[in-house]
Amino acid sequence: MNKDKVTVGQFALLLLLVTSGSKFLSLPSILAGDVGHDSWLVLCVAFLWDGVCLAFLGWALKLNQQNHLSLDKILRTTLTPIVEKLVLLVFFVLFVTRSIVLLNSCYRMFAVTFDVSTNWIMFVLPIVAVSFFAIARGFVSIARVGQLMCALIVLCIVALLSFTVRQTDFGGLLPIAEAGWNNIIKTAFDRCFWFADYIFVYFVMENLHIKKRTFAPIFASFAVGVVLTVAMNAIFVALFGSIAPEIKLAMSKISVFSVSETTNGRWDWLTLSVWIMSVLIKIVIFIYCAYKSGEKLFGLHFTKPNVWAILVIALLLMTPLLISAETIVQDFMTKLLVPFAVVQYILPLSLPLLTTIANKKMTVEVPNE
Amino acid sequence: MNNYLEQLQNVYRNDDDFCTRQIDCGVSVTIAFLDSMCSDIKISNYVVEPMLYGEGSTDFAEIKKRLTAGAVVKEVANFFDVVDVISNGHTVVFVGENCLSVDTRTTIARAIVEPPTSMVMRGPREGFIEDAKTNLTLIRKRLKTSDLKVTTLNVGKYTNTTVYVCYICTIADDKVVNKVIQQVKKINIDGVLDASYITRYIDQNKTALFRRVGMTEKPDVAVGKMLEGRVAIIVDGSPMVLTVPYLYVEDLQSPGDYYEDHTMTSLNRLLRFVSVLASVLLPSLYVCLQMYNYQIIPLKFLITVLNATQAIPFSPLAEMILIIVIFDILREANLRMPSAVGISLSLVGAIVLGDAAVKAGLIGAPAVMIGALSGIGLFTMPDNTLILSLLRLAITFIAGMMGILGVILSMMMILFYLCSMQGYHTPFLAPFTPPMENDKQDAVMNKPLTQWTKRPKSIPNKNQTRRGK
Repeated sequence: MNKDKVTVGQFALLLLLVTSGSKFLSLPSILAGDVGHDSWLVLCVAFLWDGVCLAFLGWALKLNQQNHLSLDKILRTTLTPIVEKLVLLVFFVLFVTRSIVLLNSCYRMFAVTFDVSTNWIMFVLPIVAVSFFAIARGFVSIARVGQLMCALIVLCIVALLSFTVRQTDFGGLLPIAEAGWNNIIKTAFDRCFWFADYIFVYFVMENLHIKKRTFAPIFASFAVGVVLTVAMNAIFVALFGSIAPEIKLAMSKISVFSVSETTNGRWDWLTLSVWIMSVLIKIVIFIYCAYKSGEKLFGLHFTKPNVWAILVIALLLMTPLLISAETIVQDFMTKLLVPFAVVQYILPLSLPLLTTIANKKMTVEVPNE
Repeated sequence: MNNYLEQLQNVYRNDDDFCTRQIDCGVSVTIAFLDSMCSDIKISNYVVEPMLYGEGSTDFAEIKKRLTAGAVVKEVANFFDVVDVISNGHTVVFVGENCLSVDTRTTIARAIVEPPTSMVMRGPREGFIEDAKTNLTLIRKRLKTSDLKVTTLNVGKYTNTTVYVCYICTIADDKVVNKVIQQVKKINIDGVLDASYITRYIDQNKTALFRRVGMTEKPDVAVGKMLEGRVAIIVDGSPMVLTVPYLYVEDLQSPGDYYEDHTMTSLNRLLRFVSVLASVLLPSLYVCLQMYNYQIIPLKFLITVLNATQAIPFSPLAEMILIIVIFDILREANLRMPSAVGISLSLVGAIVLGDAAVKAGLIGAPAVMIGALSGIGLFTMPDNTLILSLLRLAITFIAGMMGILGVILSMMMILFYLCSMQGYHTPFLAPFTPPMENDKQDAVMNKPLTQWTKRPKSIPNKNQTRRGK
């Protein structure tokens, strides 16, 4: 059994979970700080660009069905090994950074909403342990858990939003594009770090099996993820108006509107507990990708899960003990915006061409062997 | 062949159970058998009598012809086969240089009764017994087709236990059948005393927490599973018949489900699923709520809980762990006790340990209620409850240490584990993940039997059509 094999259906559902998973935490307040009540338009623009890139990526994945090449092999065959290593390095940094940011949001979410006050190390280590366990069991376990939990998680998000929507005054979203389209598009690019969640597919592409005309579930899942995220963001800015930038954890505050505390108790926490699983699944996926990119970066091939590699990642995830996560978001990401954008947006656009060339080269090489 | 007789006497020296007897029927013939394994009447009727009361003959073919009264008569060519047939209760007849074996096995078996582990309100009440041949008969009685194939294997250096691998050749997948036969053949063990010995060898994942080989005491269940493409393994000396591949959802299915109305079955299974989930999670959620997130509890309920627990000297975690451990001790003790004593033990558990502990203020009534509900709820599942009981204890402990994060992470870890499990080309959590819509007809929700037109895809098979075109 191939432990990392993933089907199109599983990829589609994982995409849905990772698209909406983390964007209900600190991103809404950041965007509200940037463009006010037009933040949902920023999401629309960013997702539109994501959709275009996803279409190219899908095309590349279809072309890759010929030889089932991995990303590192495509890059090595078409570009130079140095470019391959550089891209893998950027991926490694990107996944570690995104994991840190996600972990930080989760940490605050648990501290504020669930009263789980622990230190960073004791919070991160169990999550790394679970991620390591998932790596050991193979990507198929992550994909199947995503498949199993997806409906429940989406149901919880919809339940939370539908309760809140009754108390929302959508007039607060008017006038549309008050911040100006240029400003909205610029913000979408500046905050691109938070988007392009499909990038995890780079590290499972050799194990993804696509049959004819099977792109529909991928785009359908992506569309559902986009609708949920944009709806949540619109509700958030419409609910909180000018104080939205101060509400650092969107989901925990939105959920307060969904129940009556005195009669039923805070049952919204049950739905929050289920929803938080999507964020944890996303963290596990990113740690898996960081592990794989590290493995390929150093030209290693672990037949068994490597404890040292996961320890290195765990140590890197301890960075917020030295530099605050806010500093990482503000400074570090701004400096690395361009390399991140290259792997997030330029690579998928060029991947169909690179895959075609790699396929041709492989076809030529086979008879010589 | 006299040489074989000498060797045989040498092998069985100092064994009073081994008997030889010389008969003169024109030529001197020696018969050898194990007294405890053979029926005196069969030896007399199938061996001695036919030889004594015919005309004297020195011809081997003629003697062989006289022994046709026996159900199984065959020539034995080598010494290992001689030992093998004698060990299995045959009588060996040495005629000059030739050797014949006659089936004279005695049948010692208990009556076919309803198995105590799978009682049903409706449906067949026959259960497997310890005799493999009878068990095979019980299966064949329900599968009157030449497509039912049986491969006989012997396992165990000393026990030489007979193992029958049964399957329907037009349904079961060849790869699965061959894999099972290979796995059984590979078993290198000195003795097989029960089917559970075989389970440990045919389960491909040695570290599996969850059982991955089905066990049933009911022939109708075994046949039902074989009709879905599974392979049944009968082990001599065990009333349990093994079935592979095994899905986790089978743990929720009770034998009686198939003889009830499908709506009732669906409701019962849903109830089992919910109660098992609640049993595993309730203690941990109670500890979480008590220790970290009491805001979640509605105000009126919270006041009641606080009133009941404020004088308790233990922390909610210690209190809950204590209750779960006590419950598990009582359960384990109850299993070992004779039924009459078991009732007393239940009363002691319920009255002394429960009521008195609450009255003494050692544990709170809400915790006892949650613990009892959790303990009983687990037993709605027909099988395989022990591992869930252990997991419940572990999750409760983690919940006490880490709060709701611990519960979520524990659940994720269990899900990662279950989702990655696969045996005999079958994902353990099928038909839920990977999803197989057709197979959900008999998962938690149960469709009417008339609508089961296809066999489950999750079990590899070579004939998808169950009925119709």
